[in-house]
Amino acid sequence: MSRERGPSRRVFALGLGALFASACDRPARPAGEVAFWFSYGGNNRKVLLELVSRFHREQSAVRVVPTFQGDYFEGLVKLRTGLFVGAVPTITHVVGEVVPYLARAGVLERLEGVGDAVLSDLEPALAQFGTFEGAEDEPLVALPFNRSTPIAFFNRTIFRELGLSPPTTWDELRAVASRASLVGEEARWGFECPVDWWFWTALVGQAGGRLVEDGRITLGGEPGARALELWQAMVHDDRTMRSPPGRDFNAWEASNGDFLAGRAAMIWTSTAFVRYLEENASFPVGAAPLPGDVRRAVPTGGTFFVMPKGLPAPEREAGLAFLRWMMQPQQASEWARRTGYMPVSQAGRRELEATGFFREHPNFKVAVDQLSVAQRWPWAPELFRVQREAVQPRLEAAVSERLDVRKVLAEARLVAEAG
Amino acid sequence: MDRLVTVALALVALVWVGPYLWMVATSFKSLDELVRAPAWPIPSRFRLDAYREVFSALPVWRYTLNSIVMATLIGVLQAALALPAGYALAKLEFTGKRVAFVLVMACLIIPPQVTFVPVFTMLGPLGLVNTMTALVVPFAVSAFGTFLVRQAMLSVPNELIEAARLDGAGELTIIYRVLAPLVRPTLAAMFLFSFVYHYSDYFWPLMMTTDDHIRTLPVAVALLREQGTGVRWHIVMAGNVVLTMPVLVLFIVAQRRILRAVTARALS
Amino acid sequence: MSLRPTRTFHPYAMLAPTLAVLALFCLVPLGVAFHKSFFAWDLLTEPEPVGFGNYRALLASGELGELIVRTLAYSVVVVSASLTLGLALAVALNREGRFYAFVRSAVFSAYVVSWVAVALLWLWLLDPQAGLIARVSKGLGLTPVDWLGNPRVVLFTLAGVTVWKITGYAMVIFLAGLQDVPRSVLEAAALDGAGPWQRFRYIVWPLLRPTATFVATTSLILSFQAFDIVRVMTQGGPVRSSTIFVYAIYEQVFVNMRVGRASALTVVFFVLLLGLTGLQWWLWRKSADSRVAT
Repeated sequence: MSRERGPSRRVFALGLGALFASACDRPARPAGEVAFWFSYGGNNRKVLLELVSRFHREQSAVRVVPTFQGDYFEGLVKLRTGLFVGAVPTITHVVGEVVPYLARAGVLERLEGVGDAVLSDLEPALAQFGTFEGAEDEPLVALPFNRSTPIAFFNRTIFRELGLSPPTTWDELRAVASRASLVGEEARWGFECPVDWWFWTALVGQAGGRLVEDGRITLGGEPGARALELWQAMVHDDRTMRSPPGRDFNAWEASNGDFLAGRAAMIWTSTAFVRYLEENASFPVGAAPLPGDVRRAVPTGGTFFVMPKGLPAPEREAGLAFLRWMMQPQQASEWARRTGYMPVSQAGRRELEATGFFREHPNFKVAVDQLSVAQRWPWAPELFRVQREAVQPRLEAAVSERLDVRKVLAEARLVAEAG
Repeated sequence: MDRLVTVALALVALVWVGPYLWMVATSFKSLDELVRAPAWPIPSRFRLDAYREVFSALPVWRYTLNSIVMATLIGVLQAALALPAGYALAKLEFTGKRVAFVLVMACLIIPPQVTFVPVFTMLGPLGLVNTMTALVVPFAVSAFGTFLVRQAMLSVPNELIEAARLDGAGELTIIYRVLAPLVRPTLAAMFLFSFVYHYSDYFWPLMMTTDDHIRTLPVAVALLREQGTGVRWHIVMAGNVVLTMPVLVLFIVAQRRILRAVTARALS
Repeated sequence: MSLRPTRTFHPYAMLAPTLAVLALFCLVPLGVAFHKSFFAWDLLTEPEPVGFGNYRALLASGELGELIVRTLAYSVVVVSASLTLGLALAVALNREGRFYAFVRSAVFSAYVVSWVAVALLWLWLLDPQAGLIARVSKGLGLTPVDWLGNPRVVLFTLAGVTVWKITGYAMVIFLAGLQDVPRSVLEAAALDGAGPWQRFRYIVWPLLRPTATFVATTSLILSFQAFDIVRVMTQGGPVRSSTIFVYAIYEQVFVNMRVGRASALTVVFFVLLLGLTGLQWWLWRKSADSRVAT
């Protein structure tokens, strides 16, 4: 009967067989293996992967398998998804603002096991307890990895030609930006800064405000509004500031790109980009601390290492071994030297000072010096929601469409309080 | 008039082919060249650096294999399961037939975009996220494919089936040995369409995978656009070429069949 | 008409896998989504019942209305442009010859290529500084448009890219439809002195109308499901100006971890799709009727 062979029963059975075979395809993590999810691209990714291979050369008991998971926010999506489905890495790194939330949800492992030697050497302002206030009684669940502060980068050539020096107050910022702006064919922005939560927090602090006061989310109150008004004035009245397009890090990327191309004389971005900007600019790059208003203030940023709760003991130990190694002065200083993040180990920082690295690369020192005015984040589980759902989505519109900032912030407060 | 139409059509072709050429040209450039003179289409010399970087940064073969295995399994399962279901719905008499048919048709209007949230929360606790099962099983049945096979079976004369039964053939033999060859064009169209669709799918694998070993090519290539330090477009475009070329080649080879598959969906 | 099964259980066994999969991944999830839409749940802690809270929050913040308007605007542009362009191309390309075949393949190829590839490609083409489009328009002395950065433009940019991607589909379906137009009738009309426009208007179009309805409604439903292009090109920004429905659901569940809110959106989305499908049937029936009538 069968003139032609159609998809036969055998094919069908084969298909089903393959399916079930592949259903069990999640390989159990072999002993000593550390699954490490990370969020870096470009140069930072390269440095990190080189550190990992050096770790492998120095010892053979623990094998780290790094997996790229997209930018911080995408990586965080993957982590939370993984926590839900029970497919977690041994180690990952998350932005500081989300640590209180994850800690409160009870999904993070305690990390004291990394050892007192390591813990006592950590730069206090960059470690968990120095980064957050009101967290004294909380367990240690996060170890600093790539920590940063926002800093200003300026085009030395342009500043020299115009006889400008980096601004130290808001008024100076506006004056410098308008001096450095050019209109016409070769248009240039005096100042560019992503309209982002992080820089807004810096401005709020400088204007004398705090995001949370006495356990209430105030979003800075009046200083919060003044921070937004500064941006509005520079974008609309002075026309000296560009708010770069794109969401999250797309905007950061855009401002980096404009700076490198000479389309922006000065930008605010993370200290993390020192190395990248220095290496890719065709002009000398200067770095400066952010200006102050009623006071000097910056938030800290970047990420912490965390470990999901409930891993098998050997896996936990292997993960801690890697973390211990990463926190050591040599690795901490190498990471800082090659990326621009701050050294999280005090001994590592002293080493950079002793070897004259900071003297030769003063731009790397700016962020470290700025730590003296760093403000702590509130240990508030809702902090991350406040950032992602209440504030961040409203900042861009508030500035670009020049909305009534007090109304915008009141609305954001409502959303933040609703939870 | 005719010349005008020809010029217009040539322009149309350029609008569609130009971007591909730009993609390929970009992938052979160096970063320096991109920064300096991005509008010049021809690379100063053909560099394979971007491809080398893509292949060293990503386990491209693993991802490609994942994509192919996933798309093939889905295509095969859809055909294999649509055959008996289509046969029962087209040829057999039983109570509940109407209900079954309505159920199948109802699912026609429910795309994965509606079901992904609950499916994700259902599969999560079962430990199925990050498995081939989570990528394949939700698509193992195509409501539309079942409908197509049923339509094709309707035109098969009953006598053929009765004759086969008299020869002592069991129902499975009838379905897979007798009827399957007869509805082969439908099955081929179904398979091709489903393969191309799922090979390129981004939505579902994005939600259902976090692990490297199960990641599919589109998800991985989208990740090449690393953020923070300026997008290295030559690398992204090299990844894009790797992602696109197999499909374009398949399209050129099997264009007629793919066209039939697409129009079959429309005109039934 | 139908055959009697050799064993009573046979048809059920034959349908079992199909119905099981469909029930499990189509119907049950709908119920689950409906149920979850009355809870606040972040996947990590226990769900809390909130009644209609999720729906109320979506309505009160105006988010839902904006979402529907945005999605509709995107869909209307996509459908009308791809339909018109696809029809024009089908009519122009409905002839023999290698050149025409090449143009047909070129246009249709975009339909086969993955959304991710198309999105990345256009992201690069539209790059405000280094992109081809910016360079060309600068060369032509045009004011550069911030295609993806301007909140008033971005949705139409995405629609434009979608049109580039799916016009081939419309064209192919119209080409198939054109095969039903009898050549002899066209030739006779031409002999009677009917110009190309008249021939199209009075002979071709009435015959193509059901096809057009089909293309319009399927691409409407398809464009309602757009996601990849938003995720890769804009992540819904700037200022949520390109956040359309499916991306909003994704954002709620995976970025904001609000499963309940996402489920509520899913339920609304399903109702919308149901409405669109109803519209599709109604239009289809109507055009089929009118075809019989003429």
